[in-house]
Amino acid sequence: MKKHAILLIEDDELDIISVERSLKKLESEYELYTAYNGIEALKMLKDNTIRLIPDVILLDLNMPKMNGVEFLGILRADEQLKDIKVFVMTTSSEGSDRSLSEELGISGYIIKPLNYTDNTKRTDSMDAFVQFHLRKILVNENI
Amino acid sequence: MKLSTQILLAFAIVILLSIADSYTNYMLSKKVQQDTQFLSKSEAIIRNSNRTHKAIIDMQSSFRGYLLTDDGTFLDSYYSGKRNVPTYLEQQKKLVGNNTAQQSILDSITRMHTYWVGYSSQLIHLRKTMPAAYLLLFQAKQKRQVGKKINDAIAKEFSRFDKVEYAIRKRHSTILMSSIRKTHTFSLIFLLLTVIIGICSAVYIVMLITRRIASMVRLAENISKGQFTIVNDTRNDELTGLSRSLNIMSDKLDKNIRELENRNTELNKFAYVVSHDLKAPIRGIHNVITWIEEDLQDELSLQMKKYLMIIPQRTRRMEALINGLLDYARISPKQPAEKIDTNALIQEIAGSIVPRTFKLEVDNLPELYTERLKLEQVFTNLISNAVKYTPHEDGHIHISCKEATDRYEFSVKDNGIGIDAEYHKKIFEIFQTLREKDGKESTGVGLAIVKKIMDERQETILVKSKSGEGTEFIFTWKK
Repeated sequence: MKKHAILLIEDDELDIISVERSLKKLESEYELYTAYNGIEALKMLKDNTIRLIPDVILLDLNMPKMNGVEFLGILRADEQLKDIKVFVMTTSSEGSDRSLSEELGISGYIIKPLNYTDNTKRTDSMDAFVQFHLRKILVNENI
Repeated sequence: MKLSTQILLAFAIVILLSIADSYTNYMLSKKVQQDTQFLSKSEAIIRNSNRTHKAIIDMQSSFRGYLLTDDGTFLDSYYSGKRNVPTYLEQQKKLVGNNTAQQSILDSITRMHTYWVGYSSQLIHLRKTMPAAYLLLFQAKQKRQVGKKINDAIAKEFSRFDKVEYAIRKRHSTILMSSIRKTHTFSLIFLLLTVIIGICSAVYIVMLITRRIASMVRLAENISKGQFTIVNDTRNDELTGLSRSLNIMSDKLDKNIRELENRNTELNKFAYVVSHDLKAPIRGIHNVITWIEEDLQDELSLQMKKYLMIIPQRTRRMEALINGLLDYARISPKQPAEKIDTNALIQEIAGSIVPRTFKLEVDNLPELYTERLKLEQVFTNLISNAVKYTPHEDGHIHISCKEATDRYEFSVKDNGIGIDAEYHKKIFEIFQTLREKDGKESTGVGLAIVKKIMDERQETILVKSKSGEGTEFIFTWKK
């Protein structure tokens, strides 16, 4: 069975846990790598800390040092890495962020809800995303 | 140049011209007066000349009469002439003054007259005393026509004298006529100049002031339209001060409004920061609690679970408070008025916040032309307030309206728990709620928003309520 790799680029500990919890529920074999910003992520991709080229990158936009959009730009310019699927996960609802990311090529743009009174089970929304998008990539291929 | 200086200058020119005009006229009248004096003197001279001549002629006639008749009474005129003529001639000399031609004529008349007087008195004397000698002498003199020659010469001299006098008179009158003509010309020129300069300067000053005031009026109009332009005024007079003040005012208004706009932008940014940064930690706390519940069920004691359950209640309230604060801060600035069917507006609001178990009674409400969002915010908050504080079982909300001359008075009345009189002021302050903190979602922002809108629009709101007897809010809304 082919092992999958996921790279999560996120500076918020809570969001990292949130993603970890949702992924666990998939019951799939994968390796999850975590980087706290774009520079760290690039370093990991380049110096083979990650043994495989990841199948999916989950990318936050608002991060220190190198933000998500900059990272995406560098990624898409790299011969080896340019085809990796990228999902943007952000609290930013600014149109410019979204259109910039979409121009650079992304597989999905997920806005993390801020008001949990509107969407009380926030963890469920992460679950729903993982089930809907990542399952196809991480589980279905193996069947 | 200052405006007042310009006006004074124009007046000064006009006045100077008038003075010049009056002066020329004055000089003319002086000349005319002099001439009149001269004329009367000349008349006197001619009169005197005639009188003298007549006296001389009388003397001659009486002399001849006596010689012919030997009647002594004839000599009366002769003697009176002999007495008077020298006096007359003296007077005439004084009148003539320093006119040498006339003086010499008078001298020659005096000489001839003296000579004649000598000749005639000699003959009269001879006639009286020696008639024979007289006759001889008389015939001899008569042959030579002595008397006649003298008399003719005297008559000639008189006529010459008069001619000179008339010539002088004529010269005077010519000079006078020409000076009158000159005066008229100058007077006319001055008058024309006065009128032209007067009219021109009046028109110039009026136009100047009108134009400048018009430019300031334009500026004021622009300011009232929200365009903060300035007046270009390079002159340096009284109106410049006014336009400078207007420019400063325009500039200040511009700055203040820009500052207000900046503050508004800042407020919106602040609202965003509040919504993003304050809510994120709450969300985190909430998440962690959820995870503890889900993942660590088995490891928690009942007591721990009980305590942990308190946290979501409080975080939820915290979020409601932040949202309320945002709503309050974001009460929109002035908005364009539009036509609003208040009935439809109430139905729309009630649809989303009044539960079906409530009885909602709405009277026939007027159509308004006003800011929709604000009226909507007011009704939304009052109705939701009524719903919150009314027990569901027999809830009844009544909305009505009274029309006054310049405004409407709306009333929103419920049969809920009511508000004790001591809280009637407090309820309009932000974050004041009379409920226990973790009860039904009540942040104490709704009525504060209503009050803020009322204050902004200079409307009034009052509450009629007693504890346990329902609540009625009555607010005004300008037509």
